[in-house]
Amino acid sequence: MNEVSGSMTDSARDHPLLELRNASKAFGNVVALANASLFAYAGSVVALVGDNGAGKSTMVKVLAGVHRMDSGELFLDGLPVTIDTPSDAQGLGISTVFQDLALVEALDIAANVYLGRPIKRGIFVNRPAMLEGAADLLRDLRIRVPSVRVPVGSLSGGQRQGVAIARSVLQHGRVIVMDEPTAALGIRETRHVEEIIVELRSNGRAIILVSHDLELVFRMADRIEVLRLGAVQGVRETKSTTREEIVGLITGILKEPVANQRPA
Amino acid sequence: MTRQAEPSTISSAEAAGVDRATTGGVALDQRILVSPQFLLVATIVVFSAFVTLESPQYLSVLNWTNILRNAVFIFIVGSFSTYVLVSAGLDLSVGSIFVVGALTVANLLFAGVPIWLSIAVAVAFGVAAGLVNGVLVNYVRIPSFIVTLGMLYVARGLATFVTGGRPIAPLPEAFNVIGQGDIFGVPLLIVYAVVVGVVAHVILEYTPFGLALRAIGGNREAARVAGIDVRRISVVVYMLSGASAAFAGMLMSARLGSGQPSVGTGFELQVISAVIIGGTSMFGGIGSVTGTALGALVLSILANGLILLRIDPTLQNVMVGCIIVAAVAIDQFRRSRMFRGFRR
Repeated sequence: MNEVSGSMTDSARDHPLLELRNASKAFGNVVALANASLFAYAGSVVALVGDNGAGKSTMVKVLAGVHRMDSGELFLDGLPVTIDTPSDAQGLGISTVFQDLALVEALDIAANVYLGRPIKRGIFVNRPAMLEGAADLLRDLRIRVPSVRVPVGSLSGGQRQGVAIARSVLQHGRVIVMDEPTAALGIRETRHVEEIIVELRSNGRAIILVSHDLELVFRMADRIEVLRLGAVQGVRETKSTTREEIVGLITGILKEPVANQRPA
Repeated sequence: MTRQAEPSTISSAEAAGVDRATTGGVALDQRILVSPQFLLVATIVVFSAFVTLESPQYLSVLNWTNILRNAVFIFIVGSFSTYVLVSAGLDLSVGSIFVVGALTVANLLFAGVPIWLSIAVAVAFGVAAGLVNGVLVNYVRIPSFIVTLGMLYVARGLATFVTGGRPIAPLPEAFNVIGQGDIFGVPLLIVYAVVVGVVAHVILEYTPFGLALRAIGGNREAARVAGIDVRRISVVVYMLSGASAAFAGMLMSARLGSGQPSVGTGFELQVISAVIIGGTSMFGGIGSVTGTALGALVLSILANGLILLRIDPTLQNVMVGCIIVAAVAIDQFRRSRMFRGFRR
């Protein structure tokens, strides 16, 4: 966490930590993304909203390395990077909390938190260290679970969300992408996820929040980007927009010229 | 890991080491209650007590040596079939690869090829068959049931065709010792099984590879997006399965002192039975080599005990069938207790 806040100089605030430029992706004849761009700043939350099929999930999967974009560029800290696999994304510090959470029910919490990158001791898995690390992390995030030894399959929706978020935090993601992080949660659990987002934001991470829930978006986001039919319909500062304007962009009643999407 | 669902001295030792609220284990009584291994041990003890009452020679060292020796082949192959099932795959071709190993080594030896080379080639054939299985399952995306069913026919057909389907004997005495000798009174076959079993167990439970295997079987997509090279690991699993089957077939030729084209028929079903009885889930993610050891032991004890009880051996199949169904019923029950929203 420290290396992120340490690098948060003024220039880091001015320049986006992550820039996705003109990303396009088609599945057969279906165009999921059409020249869509996205900017995410350190210590800031950008919300990605749009109707079903607007391309939100595709953009998430492009950033996570699950889908390769057909064309477009990605910059991290101003440097061009490519993401071909999920490992590439993780290696670059882009962590994703998927909507379906991507957890293994049969494995316990500790194994899920360290999924794909277990702590090693020689050729073996250092299980005591993983138990400790997972327990510490969940305690830090105030995610309440009976024990990090219980299988994820036995957890509630909120607890699963907590485990999925803990995993992205553990990967030292400088960019954390959250796809519908509160969709399956009750009011109290949603509040808790919001607290975690605020904390991650104040730690200098760039958060990309995908959500249908405009209440949540207006509470959490610094900027709101609206996707429609795979393209960017508009980008607004949260404090200088209204719910009506965002809904108008989502439904396509309002449309912003593409040239204005770039930050000043 | 699924260790919290199984009684294990290691996990309780770990629990003591990190004795804090959020790293605690599941209560011991709960673990035992839902543990298939516990029921297996209980079954073995009750059955053994019953057989001993009727036939005291059951408990003799000689008889138990026999029981263990008969379990060796199923266990060695079953250890890696456990990997296949834990990674949510299936390998029906192990019986045919078994006979490929048995006939390859016998033919090469008969032709005067050195022992070490004959064994190496036999095992290499098993690895190659496993590679084909793994590639077809993971890269061509044909279901493992179909791929390995195909390999079941192809491997046995090729083995019979190439060797002419005739038994091959005699084999060099130096080779036969591999399957017939003993060390300090312990048959070498049992020594191999212990070594293979310990290695297979340690890899599955304590290495990143084993953890990745469970992740793949538990949720392949989650494993993939977590950066695990799902297809490569799965291919390696099928190669290990093929290698173990060919190796066991080679051991069978050494034990019999001849290459028999009829060995290994129906062997794949015995292996899968042992693995399932041992508590490994058909649905992936859950399973252990220790469970498979108990499963192989149950099959061997049943065969031995029913003969001593002078019960018609054909009834053995009836019992095995019932035990398999009961084992899967327990697995379902266990999953429904462990996982919320479990539906299958």
